[in-house]
Amino acid sequence: MLKKYYIPRLIQYFTVVFIGLTLVFVIPRLLPSNPVESQLSRMMAQGQYLDPAAIEQIRETLQQLYGLEGGMFQQYISYFKRLFTGDLGPSFTQFPTPVMTLIKQSLPWTVGLLLVSLTISWLIGTILGGIRVSFPHSRLARLIELVIMGVRPIPYYIVALVLLILFAFLVPVFPMAGGYSMGVKIGFNARFILSLLRHAFLPVLSMVIIEIGGWFLQMRNVASNIIEEDYVVYAEASGLPKAKIVFMYIMRNAIIPQITGFALNLGFIFGGALITEIVFAYPGMGYLLYSAILAGDYNLIMGINVFSIIGVSTAMLVVDLVYPLLDPRVRYS
Amino acid sequence: MAILEVKNLKAYYITHKYGRSSTVRAVDGVSFEVNKNEIYGIAGESGCGKSTLLKAVSGLVKPPLQILDGEVSYNFSDESLNILSLNDDRQRRRLRGVRISLIPQGSMSVLNPVRRIRKSFEDVVYAHLDVSESEFEEMVRDHLQALGLDWTVMHTYPHQLSGGMRQRITIALSTILRPDIIFADEPTTALDVVVQRGVVQLIKKIKEEQQNTLILVTHDMSIHANLCDRLAVMYAGEIVEEGDVQTLFSNPKHPYTSMLLNSLPRVGDSSPRASAPGAPPSLVDPPPGCRFHPRCPFAMERCRKEAPLLRDVGNRHRVACFLQEGGQ
Repeated sequence: MLKKYYIPRLIQYFTVVFIGLTLVFVIPRLLPSNPVESQLSRMMAQGQYLDPAAIEQIRETLQQLYGLEGGMFQQYISYFKRLFTGDLGPSFTQFPTPVMTLIKQSLPWTVGLLLVSLTISWLIGTILGGIRVSFPHSRLARLIELVIMGVRPIPYYIVALVLLILFAFLVPVFPMAGGYSMGVKIGFNARFILSLLRHAFLPVLSMVIIEIGGWFLQMRNVASNIIEEDYVVYAEASGLPKAKIVFMYIMRNAIIPQITGFALNLGFIFGGALITEIVFAYPGMGYLLYSAILAGDYNLIMGINVFSIIGVSTAMLVVDLVYPLLDPRVRYS
Repeated sequence: MAILEVKNLKAYYITHKYGRSSTVRAVDGVSFEVNKNEIYGIAGESGCGKSTLLKAVSGLVKPPLQILDGEVSYNFSDESLNILSLNDDRQRRRLRGVRISLIPQGSMSVLNPVRRIRKSFEDVVYAHLDVSESEFEEMVRDHLQALGLDWTVMHTYPHQLSGGMRQRITIALSTILRPDIIFADEPTTALDVVVQRGVVQLIKKIKEEQQNTLILVTHDMSIHANLCDRLAVMYAGEIVEEGDVQTLFSNPKHPYTSMLLNSLPRVGDSSPRASAPGAPPSLVDPPPGCRFHPRCPFAMERCRKEAPLLRDVGNRHRVACFLQEGGQ
């Protein structure tokens, strides 16, 4: 039974990743522009004199760097070989810095920011949504719903800017910009961690405020169907304590789609959060991707795509693997 | 002595939409008594208020359902109370499962799909009794054994069981605390006839063993014939006839009861059965006078204007029909 469930999903996972990576390989090669020629013409435009033999040599070196030597098939094989060693080629705009180095610089910021805000907003939204449905007559629950639903339609950048103006400018308790204070050494020390938390507070808060609404709404909608279910009515008719009904009957069943949503959102982390990064001048993948697109830095775009493909498919795989633990009905079918 | 007395109960569904309120008079002035150790049946077509009556009587009232009038008193061996006057949720919770228990419709989703059966039993038992784990196990084991169920089902999830098995488990769960009164709401609906028989026998067995009172709601007249001592026939939110099953089946006084009985197949009789023409009226705007008159073959002028009262025609047989009042 286990084999029947897990093995097809693992096969599916590797197939999806393989096809995705192949597309990442094929698409830039269909483009009319060639990074090697662009690089060469850029060097020429700078007015350097190069003799033809040197140009040929540079071209060869560049082709090797970008993985463009030999026929298509040969390139394809070496592309995967390079992927396995973590080599995504050099960045075009920040030549010769490898794409991998750029991503490694930005990724921890993005993962930290998005993981924390996603987790907090998910937890709060889910719990409040469940409580709202379980206590339909509570005034407090209704007030909370009103506030959440009132905040939800506000455009994100307005919330972010208002927070920034309020708490970094008018009442300057939090810093205006950056990921950490200048002059603080990056490392595992109290000063850096404190600085990190202070800088991350407003960006995280702004995202949490906006994201709670979605989780709240989804939980509320699912849970309001669950409370109509026979097993909840029957639990009430059997005189179970309210807390048991709320947590083990209503929330326990309503949380299943929430967890799917959470895991799927985990996969989208690699795209970064562009507006947050811009408003709070926070380092991260969003800005990296944005500037790569503006500058036509294909290697960098493709590098980020590789991470996204692996991230999203891994998240889906995790959902699939965790699902039977949450919902026994899936386990044997 | 009557363990349950219902007096002039009115339970309406009241909804408000865009400032307009609509009222469905699902139970409209119902009175009856149920004796201790009796099996009391409530029959009628779909949409005549049977399930609403059961909800109101067992105190499971939630908006939009509202109780407008009436009294529902329980007389247990050591206490008497009016369930409609209990405002405290805790007081009602104390009764449920212990005093009053519900066997819900034999549908798919009465048991929590993500919890093992054992957990469902634990939830119910621990909610009301302060017992140790071994006492719990002994209690459930004995109960299951008495009902002819196997202990191994405790480790399964509801979806792994057949519909009939699920219904048996639900019945076992509803009766584990030996309730004084059991309300069964269409316990055999959605089950095939063979399984129905098993479920009916199971209910009978429990009743005999635990000596409790059973109120059985179903539209299936054959189940009533099989199980009940007394039977009430409901039509459009009202009881139109009540009496003991034998009298009612052999000598129905209300035209609606006769219609219901005429539609039943009989062994050895291959003539086509007459179906009752028409459908129950909308309970938003029930017909004036006797609510049955639009479908009644014997409707008189009087039936269109006045509503007949439920009257005793002797031998605890009550009928709400003008035909029974002094000849015509």
